[in-house]
Amino acid sequence: MSKRVLCKFFAHGACLKGDHCEFSHDWKAPPNNICTFYQKGVCAYGGRCRYDHVKVARLQSPAPSSSVYSHQHHSVHADHLSESAAGSAENDDVRELSVNPADRPICSFAAAGNCPHGEKCPHIHGDLCPTCGKHCLHPFRPQEREEHVKTCEKMQRNLEALKHSQEIECCVCLERVLSKSAPAERKFGILSECDHPFCISCIRNWRSSSSASGMDVNSALRACPICRKLSYFVIPSVIWYCSKVEKQEIVDSYKAKLRSIDCKHFDFGNGTCPFGTSCFYKHAYRDGQLEEVVLRHLGAEDGNTVIAKNVRLSDFLKEYELLTGTKLLLPKIQQFFH
Amino acid sequence: MVDFARVQKELQECNRDFEVSGIKVMPKSDANLAHLLGTIPGPLGTPYEGGSFKIDITLPDGYPFEPPKMQFATKVWHPNISSQSGAICLDILKDQWSPALTLKTALLSVQALLSAPEPDDPQDAVVAQQYLRDYPTFMGTARYWTEAFAMTSSLGVEDKVLKLVEMGFPEALVRSTLVSVDGDENMALEKLCSG
Repeated sequence: MSKRVLCKFFAHGACLKGDHCEFSHDWKAPPNNICTFYQKGVCAYGGRCRYDHVKVARLQSPAPSSSVYSHQHHSVHADHLSESAAGSAENDDVRELSVNPADRPICSFAAAGNCPHGEKCPHIHGDLCPTCGKHCLHPFRPQEREEHVKTCEKMQRNLEALKHSQEIECCVCLERVLSKSAPAERKFGILSECDHPFCISCIRNWRSSSSASGMDVNSALRACPICRKLSYFVIPSVIWYCSKVEKQEIVDSYKAKLRSIDCKHFDFGNGTCPFGTSCFYKHAYRDGQLEEVVLRHLGAEDGNTVIAKNVRLSDFLKEYELLTGTKLLLPKIQQFFH
Repeated sequence: MVDFARVQKELQECNRDFEVSGIKVMPKSDANLAHLLGTIPGPLGTPYEGGSFKIDITLPDGYPFEPPKMQFATKVWHPNISSQSGAICLDILKDQWSPALTLKTALLSVQALLSAPEPDDPQDAVVAQQYLRDYPTFMGTARYWTEAFAMTSSLGVEDKVLKLVEMGFPEALVRSTLVSVDGDENMALEKLCSG
C-alpha cells in the first residue's frame, strides 16, 4: 500500500533503505504531504507548517513520513495497519508488540479524554481511573495501576483538604488564613491540644506577647484563645486537617523534619539546650552520635517522683538575691569559694 | 500597631446584629478607630433594666493581643464598677483576655457583669459594702442612678431644659450648654456646676 507513496527520503536523495524501502522510489508516485503531528492533534508549526494540515482517515494515509523518526519506524506504523488491514511486511515487529501487551505504552491522548485514532490507536487505551476521571490505568501493569490509584487518591485528598482550608478563618485576625495579604502569613498554626484554627503569625504573636500586661504565661498566653486549653507547641501547616489522623500526620512530619536539623542551642555538645529532652531538634555530637540523656528521678515531698533539672550555680545565686535582697557582685561570689 | 482591619470587621459584625444583642459600637471620630464608644442596654430583671449605658473604649497598640481599655462613661451604681471613674473590674479585660474575644463579646461580658455582681471582689468598696449589708438600699440606689443617668436620652430637649432650670440655672445658659454637649443632660449639669 505504501509502495504507492513517494518516499520522502528518496525525494531528497537520501533514503538508506534502497530497494527494501516500503515507500515508492518512483518519481511518478504521488508524494505524501500530510502533517503527522496535525494528525495526532497538535502541530507546533501551526499555519507555517510546510505539510498539509488535513484530517485523513488512518487507512488512507498509511505512511506518515514527515520526519526521520517516522522513517526509521516505518515498520512500526505498518504493523499497526496490519492489525486491521492485515497485509503488510515485517511481521517480527507485529509479534513483538502484540505478544506482550504490558510492554506497550499507554495512549496519552486517550488518557486525556480523546484519542483521534480511536480503535486503531497503536497504543493501549487505559482503563478509567475513578478518582481522576482519566483513562490512565494500564490494563496489563497491575503494579503501575495500584501506584497510580494510590497517588491519585492522595492527591485528591490533598486537593480537597486545600479547598476546605481556603474557607477557614483565623479566629484572631478574622481573615481567611490562605487569603492573607502577606504570603508568609498564609499558614495555619495548629495547636497540639485543641482544634481551633489560627494563622501562624497571630498565634505566635499571642504566645510571645509579653507577660508584662499581667497575663500569666501558662494560664493565658499558652492557652488556646478560644477554649483556653493549654498547648505546649504550635505546628505550622499550609493545610488544615479534617480528622485526628490527618492532624497526627502533619504533626509527625513536622517533628520528623525538625529532628533532622541540628539544634543550635545544643551546638554539637558545646552548648546546653534549655529545652533538654523536650527539644524537637537534633541533639547529636560532631561524630554523629546522639546525645544520651540520663534523667535523675527525685522523690518529691508529696511522694510523687519528679525529674531533677540540671542545677546551675546561677540558680542558687538568684535564690540568695531573693532571700537577702542584695545583689551579688563578683568579689562576694569569690568569698563563697574561700 | 492596632489591627484596624480587624476592628473594621468587628464594627461591621457588631452593628449587623444590633437588633438581637442591642450592643452598639461606634468610632468616636471617623479618623481614629482606636477610640470607640460602645452602648449596652441594661439587662432585664436588674435595677439597670431600661437604661442605656455608654462605655468608652480605647484600643491599645497591641490590640487584639492586649485587652481593650473599657470604662463606663455613664454613671453606674455597681460593686464592680467605680461610681467615680467608671472603671470596670472584669478579669477578661485584664489577665484573662484572649485575642479571640472581640469588642462585642467583651461588651456582652460587661453586660453580664451588670446582672451578676461580684461583691467579694469589688472595684467600689462603698457600693460593695452597701450591696452586702443593705441589699434593698443598694437596689434602690442602683435603680435611681439608672433612671437618673442612663435613661436621659428618652427625655425631650424641653424636659431637660425644664429640669435644669428647676435646679436653679438660668435658662439661656442651660440651652447653650445643652447644645454644646450634644444634648447630654449629665454632661450639661457637670459643665454648669463646674463653670
